[in-house]
Amino acid sequence: MRTWHLDSTRHRMTLGRKLGQVSWPLVMLLVMVAGMGFAALFSAAGGSLDPWASRQMARFGMGMAILLVVAVTDLKIWMRYAYVLYALGMALLVAVEVVGTIGMGAQRWIDLGFIQLQPSEVMKIALVLSLARYFHSADLYAVGRPLFLLPPLVMVAAPVAFVLKQPDLGTAMMLLMSSAVIFFMAGVRWWKFAFVLVSGLAAIPLAWQFLHEYQKKRVLTFLNPESDPLGAGYHIMQSKIALGSGGLFGKGFLQGTQSHLNFLPEKQTDFIFTMLAEEWGMAGALFLLLLYVLIIAYGYAIALRSRSQFGRLVGLGMTSTFFLYVFINIAMVMGLLPVVGVPLPLISYGGTAMLTLLFGFGLVVCVWVHRDSVVGRRGGDDG
Amino acid sequence: MTLRFFKGRRSPPAYFPGEDIQETAGGRMDTANRHAIETGRTRLIVTGALFMAAFGIVALRMVDVTVLKAGQETRHAGIRHSVELHMQRADIVDRNGVALATSLPTVSVYANPTEIIDAEDAAAELVTALPELSQAEVLARLRMDRSFVYLRRNLTPRQQYAVNALGIPGLYFEKSERRVYPHGRTAAHIVGLTDVDNNGIAGVEKTLDARLRDFRDPLRLSIDLRVQTVLRNELARAVATFRAVGATGMVLDVRTGELLAMVSLPDFDPNAPASTTAEAMFNRATLGVYEMGSTFKLFNTAAALDSGTATMKSGYDASQPIRIARFTITDYHAKNRWLSVPEILVHSSNIGSAKMALDMGTETQRAYLGRLGLLRAASVELPEVGAPLVPSPWREINTMTISYGHGLAVTPLQMVTGVAALVNGGIYRPATLVLRDSVGDLPGQRVLKPETSRAMRQLMRMVVTEGTGGKADVVGYNVGGKTGTAEKLGAGGSYRRKSLLSSFIATFPADEPRYVVLAMIDEPQGTKETFGYATGGWTAAPAVGRTIAQIGPMLGVAPRLPAEPQEPGMLHQAAANGSKLASAQ
Repeated sequence: MRTWHLDSTRHRMTLGRKLGQVSWPLVMLLVMVAGMGFAALFSAAGGSLDPWASRQMARFGMGMAILLVVAVTDLKIWMRYAYVLYALGMALLVAVEVVGTIGMGAQRWIDLGFIQLQPSEVMKIALVLSLARYFHSADLYAVGRPLFLLPPLVMVAAPVAFVLKQPDLGTAMMLLMSSAVIFFMAGVRWWKFAFVLVSGLAAIPLAWQFLHEYQKKRVLTFLNPESDPLGAGYHIMQSKIALGSGGLFGKGFLQGTQSHLNFLPEKQTDFIFTMLAEEWGMAGALFLLLLYVLIIAYGYAIALRSRSQFGRLVGLGMTSTFFLYVFINIAMVMGLLPVVGVPLPLISYGGTAMLTLLFGFGLVVCVWVHRDSVVGRRGGDDG
Repeated sequence: MTLRFFKGRRSPPAYFPGEDIQETAGGRMDTANRHAIETGRTRLIVTGALFMAAFGIVALRMVDVTVLKAGQETRHAGIRHSVELHMQRADIVDRNGVALATSLPTVSVYANPTEIIDAEDAAAELVTALPELSQAEVLARLRMDRSFVYLRRNLTPRQQYAVNALGIPGLYFEKSERRVYPHGRTAAHIVGLTDVDNNGIAGVEKTLDARLRDFRDPLRLSIDLRVQTVLRNELARAVATFRAVGATGMVLDVRTGELLAMVSLPDFDPNAPASTTAEAMFNRATLGVYEMGSTFKLFNTAAALDSGTATMKSGYDASQPIRIARFTITDYHAKNRWLSVPEILVHSSNIGSAKMALDMGTETQRAYLGRLGLLRAASVELPEVGAPLVPSPWREINTMTISYGHGLAVTPLQMVTGVAALVNGGIYRPATLVLRDSVGDLPGQRVLKPETSRAMRQLMRMVVTEGTGGKADVVGYNVGGKTGTAEKLGAGGSYRRKSLLSSFIATFPADEPRYVVLAMIDEPQGTKETFGYATGGWTAAPAVGRTIAQIGPMLGVAPRLPAEPQEPGMLHQAAANGSKLASAQ
């Protein structure tokens, strides 16, 4: 905040200077949320750092390092390599189709030995960067031309198609929706969204036939969870029971019966919010929600403050991705959305999502650090 | 930052939205650019508002499910009817509803050998999950040229899980059920057994196989598991104390013919049918036929009294052994004098009984024994029923030996059923193992006069108070009974002095009998406590006494103070008769 004025040396800031520019309040918010996550994982393991909390901490440490590295890297570099990253992501998506390890019935990741790389996660970042770059150099007139929108649409459709094929409905939806936000922010006409929405709704009966049996079941269960309380509706019924049993202030740390007695499935991953709400009650859950809101608001503010369109779109895109994670997960465990397997960001146990998110926030911080950079049409210093 | 954003409102023109819309340097702003900026801002606000709305919804929902609890789930779970288990066989329960036999759902693992890829491999893996199987045998089965071979029946869920986890193609599970006998040996001879395909092969399971399959409601036996347990314990104790080879016993309701207990030792564990022996499977109570010995004198006396050839006051000369053909009939408790009819029974005189039998004649004797069900196989709901060994031709010598229980072999069940008719007022009712529906309409036929029955009660009571059955008495229960000690027939057809069949048959309360209790010990050996005696009075009578002491309260028989006997005159008269006769000598 202390550097509103135009600084001609901005483009050539020293590393120390850049670190000073990092928005530490945002980083602190992230650490707070992750801290709640560690506590929750500690509780999920029955009051033990093993097997989840300790590993999650290590990952968070690694993720924070990545965040800082990403943040001090010049924004123009991210713009320059946006398409390269996208191409890489696509290549990995294709590769996972070919040599993917089978995990949970879906081919989703490539085993790199030290980490299981999930190409769809890479794509969440690469797609935002690429779309931001594409729309960076577009004026409103260009955005109004349907033909101009064709390349970015293809850019979105290709990874979505691959992710759907995996099949990972949740990630595909997230890619679609965060792309939609960027399209929207870039100025695509209202009626075009309306058109896509209407045709999308019209396509639902058609798409239904292509859904897997388990996906259909999840949707049907979402519409009426009580229809099958011991089968497909089990997750959501137990989740709601746990939430309700938490009450105003919860049962206390390590005291959640629904989760510790294993009524609640996936308590360390997708349903961790439920466990958290059971133990800490509505107050704890709303506090976490508040932290998330602050993070998202911060991300937005950074995006708005960015002088370059690229930075703004990247900031919005990453913040929106984060928002979607939070919203879909919480809405899911409370029965507002079907169970689609989206983790709660920074809290759920899992490495890939954590690294993706912190990489994404690295970009957001990077946008803040380089908020006054003038980014040229092709990523150079000038137009 | 917000401040900065609002500053952007007065921003100078940008040539495309990507560039410098927040530049504060001077410049003109044409309509198009202004439009672009405003579009951008509107959209930011719209997006932000949408996101906030989404969070608002989530937060409201959060409050809803955690605090207001207005979720879709009801606060009270409805009664969810559990899926009823449909078993092929009905349960068997005792008269109080205690399960004696029930069915458990299980699974059996079978293979389709044509689908097995590597039989050797599969056999090796299967043995790891089911260690009790032999690998060679499993392999042989897997190589059979069939499409269905059983590998193991009745897996536990854990075993099924282990086999399933092997993931061997060609193995399948078949739903089946397994018969379980919660009380094991206690009622083994009554309930019986089923084979692996759940077909009844012994006991009630076999006799009422169709009933158990056709009706789902439990089959209610007349057995009272408590009484059964008491009787079994006492007989087992007697077997252990007297180092006997076996024992049998029964408790019968004299009014209805219902059997409350039926024990045959040794018995078997119906839950482990493979480990049973033929001897353990043998039901002495219904299948074994024995010469009963002195307990038969009850029938003889009753027949004599009922036919009128003797009265309670008649007397017979028992001073000399009877020699007939190559036999000599002697008395065990010899008094060597004239004995009245009560005394013949009380002192268990063979000589007196034989003379009474001769008095009534062979035809009368046969007619009475026939009416008392002693000459035909008993009808009871068991497949293991033995037919009596009836002498043919029935000569005078047979008449004499049968009077004291030799020369006619019957099953203990016939004995119990016959004695019930003696004491219940003279009505013969076939014994049953199934609970009678109503007491009103009972099968039965009159075989004795009520007076005869009344006399028999008194005589049986006297045996206990004055005679050989003293050890069976229980204070308050007016036990009446008769001892019996038969020499078992050896292999060569001669009687063996050392191989005894010692029994005691009792009824209580003697003045108004409710139950008949039999205990029969096979080849008991005398102990120091019994002074070496192994007769019925020393071995079986105490077992009966202890049994009655325990089951009397259970069956709701009110104990009575041992005040005066019901008809003191009769007793005193008998005693007086005896002493008069004795003094006469």
